[in-house]
Amino acid sequence: MEFVISHLVKNYGSKQVLKDVDFVFEEGRIYGLLGRNGSGKTTFFNCVNGDIDYNSGAFYFRENKDSEEKLYLQPEDIGYMVSTPTVPEFMTGREFLKFFLEVHEEITPDKTIDEYFDYMMVPEDDRDRLLKDYSHGTKNKMQMLLNIIASPKLMLLDEPLTSLDVIIAEEMKNVIRSQKKGKITIFSTHLLDVAVDLCDEIVLLHNGRLEPIDKNDLGDAAFKDKIINALRDADNDQ
Amino acid sequence: MISEYKNILFKVIHLRSIIGYNSLVFSLKKTPIIGDLIPDKLYSTKFLKVIYWVFHIMVEACKLFIGKIFGLGMIYLASFLLSTQYIDHELGQGMSQSVIYGNLGLFCFLIYALCGILIRVPYFNCTTEKEYLVFMLRMDAKKLNDTLIYYDLAKLFIGYVLAGIFAVVTGAPFWLWLGIPVLALAVKFLGIGLQILSFRFKSRLHKSLKISAVAYLIRLALVLLAVPFLIVFIANGYFIPMPQMVIITGLILAAGIWGFIEFLKSDSNLHRRALHDNISKTEVKATSQYDNTKSFKKIKAKGTVKGDKKGFDYLNALFVKRHWTMLCMKPIVFTIVIAAILILLIGEFVYGYFTRFGSGNCWNMVFTNLINIVTFRGYDDALLPLGTESAFQFFRYVAQSHLLGMMIPLSIADNSFKTTQAMFINCDNSLMTFSFFKQREKIIKLFDIRLKQLLKLNIGPVIACGLSANLMLFATGGQSYPGEYLVTFLVAFLLSVMTSVTWLSLYYLFQPFTTSVIAKGGAYRVTSIIIYSVAAIIVWVPLVSYILAPVLLVVTAVYIFVMRKLVYKHAPKSWRIKA
Repeated sequence: MEFVISHLVKNYGSKQVLKDVDFVFEEGRIYGLLGRNGSGKTTFFNCVNGDIDYNSGAFYFRENKDSEEKLYLQPEDIGYMVSTPTVPEFMTGREFLKFFLEVHEEITPDKTIDEYFDYMMVPEDDRDRLLKDYSHGTKNKMQMLLNIIASPKLMLLDEPLTSLDVIIAEEMKNVIRSQKKGKITIFSTHLLDVAVDLCDEIVLLHNGRLEPIDKNDLGDAAFKDKIINALRDADNDQ
Repeated sequence: MISEYKNILFKVIHLRSIIGYNSLVFSLKKTPIIGDLIPDKLYSTKFLKVIYWVFHIMVEACKLFIGKIFGLGMIYLASFLLSTQYIDHELGQGMSQSVIYGNLGLFCFLIYALCGILIRVPYFNCTTEKEYLVFMLRMDAKKLNDTLIYYDLAKLFIGYVLAGIFAVVTGAPFWLWLGIPVLALAVKFLGIGLQILSFRFKSRLHKSLKISAVAYLIRLALVLLAVPFLIVFIANGYFIPMPQMVIITGLILAAGIWGFIEFLKSDSNLHRRALHDNISKTEVKATSQYDNTKSFKKIKAKGTVKGDKKGFDYLNALFVKRHWTMLCMKPIVFTIVIAAILILLIGEFVYGYFTRFGSGNCWNMVFTNLINIVTFRGYDDALLPLGTESAFQFFRYVAQSHLLGMMIPLSIADNSFKTTQAMFINCDNSLMTFSFFKQREKIIKLFDIRLKQLLKLNIGPVIACGLSANLMLFATGGQSYPGEYLVTFLVAFLLSVMTSVTWLSLYYLFQPFTTSVIAKGGAYRVTSIIIYSVAAIIVWVPLVSYILAPVLLVVTAVYIFVMRKLVYKHAPKSWRIKA
């Protein structure tokens, strides 16, 4: 399965944020979407998730590159994890999970609620507390857990590790890695080290376009400078 | 002196015009498609600036008349209509339409002036042009404030005098025409005086007097003052006692004179400090917008949902449980107030009966009429028979043919707007990031559950309003056809359904809230205004209850059907977080 973005354009007034995004993402891989602050990463995700309208272009799934059939995205195909986790604050973690499993009648849970919590390493004393009292990291874990349970074809992770402590960030990275099979994961970040550490592929979003970085260069010592220079050039171009 | 004020006023209007023109060009440049076509040169095009300046002057002139005339005109119109109704039905001893018109007009104006807009004078508000003129161009702060306030007061006075012509033509007494503008000036000066006092305290004690708390106290006192007037008005149906109103008017005039003296005494330094203080307040307000959400964050953690509720039913039940105070307080308070008024009225009647005819007769009357209530008949008593005068007929006419008027109290009690705000900020805002929440079937399922919930929340006010109307009907002879009492309740319920469906549908179709719970979006506002305007007209339409009920039933059913269809079709796109 592939996720194809074809000539996607998004303008805010006279400002072109996404100029011509044209790219193919493959199943089973984690893509690091790297860009500077304000480069349009969140806008790109919001367009794909249907939260904002875009000016032109299209995106769809296809079986492989020879396949003619375009499978347009349905809401249930997407899992979106935003950088600042928002959860229904009036519920406890357990209540939220119960509700989530009940509204997803198509899902047959393979674990009990506590097993899910264990899997995500949600502390036991947090499980029956209101979500509004959760720490940023635990809210993030809850958001991730729900996306894992829903098991969408496409996972959009918008800077999910930002402002997490080292331990939780490491736990989250392991979960993301363990979940990549059978789905396309796009992970946005402005931190180069995180992208290099976690992702199978790195894609630069700059000047409103997506550009792949050769994965063979990932171990190269000069790689970092290369990306920084690329982003800097893009900035000068603008 | 006058030429100095004239110069300052000219500068302010000129500056406002420049700011307005530049803001217009700026917002046009930000508009999609049109923005690309507009060159930066437009900021300096003199010809267009002159056109805008002329337009600005015209807008000022319109504001001078339309705003003032409209505000007071509505009061005069309401007084005129009510006094006409009274003339048709009852004319108390020594009364004339002119006297009733004057009483009603003055009464409504006092409430409007002191509880509402008039007392709030933006005297020390630091607008952009004040900031430029005082802090950048070093203009005398007092002279600037005084000029603007004289300008505003002149507009107010002229506007009110013009609005008064309508009142005089339609039969209002002469004193109302000229008295109201003078009273309005007194209220304005009272507002000014209070503000000066606040800032004077601040410089002495380094602590601001809480002007809002003072304003709330004044309002509370006035509401309490208004209660006996309303009760007398409703119970006797003759007129509002004038002596009390004369006393209040006198007090306001005296307070206005005090405000005027304070106004004259205040010096330039105080004005400058007050303006500076308000710049700081505006800046603080701008950086603490998130505070808007504070009142929505009072979530009670106690308890959980028992029973076999699942999925969205479970979500909704938990939401209501955890937001109980926020969602239910307003309808409960409303219901209690109405119940208290009804008990007071019944108590007053029974007490009057008791003092006139003794306890035995009183118990007999109460018992007989309790049976009458249970058997759906009307008030009946040999010692104090049903009044035959036309005041009774008037109230009967209202209870039978003006049930649409219940829309006003029901809208006041309705908490649907705040409920949608709480739904957004504490629930939907977060769930909207999950794909399942955007599926049509699930959206409409939750919509239905929420609609039922809003109806449940409004059940208290519906019963209170229905009961009030039915008591009026009972006291004036009982039902004219079998089931009229039930029809009255049905109408109250259907009106409440309409209100709830409207707010909930608007939320789903326009989702106007930002993450700071501020309602934005032109379409939402325009639609709300249209709905309000239509409702404001419909509310006055007389329609007998046996026709109104079936018509309303059909209209409500069609309305719900259409709104559900619209929500089903558009909500997956429209119901989302505002970027």
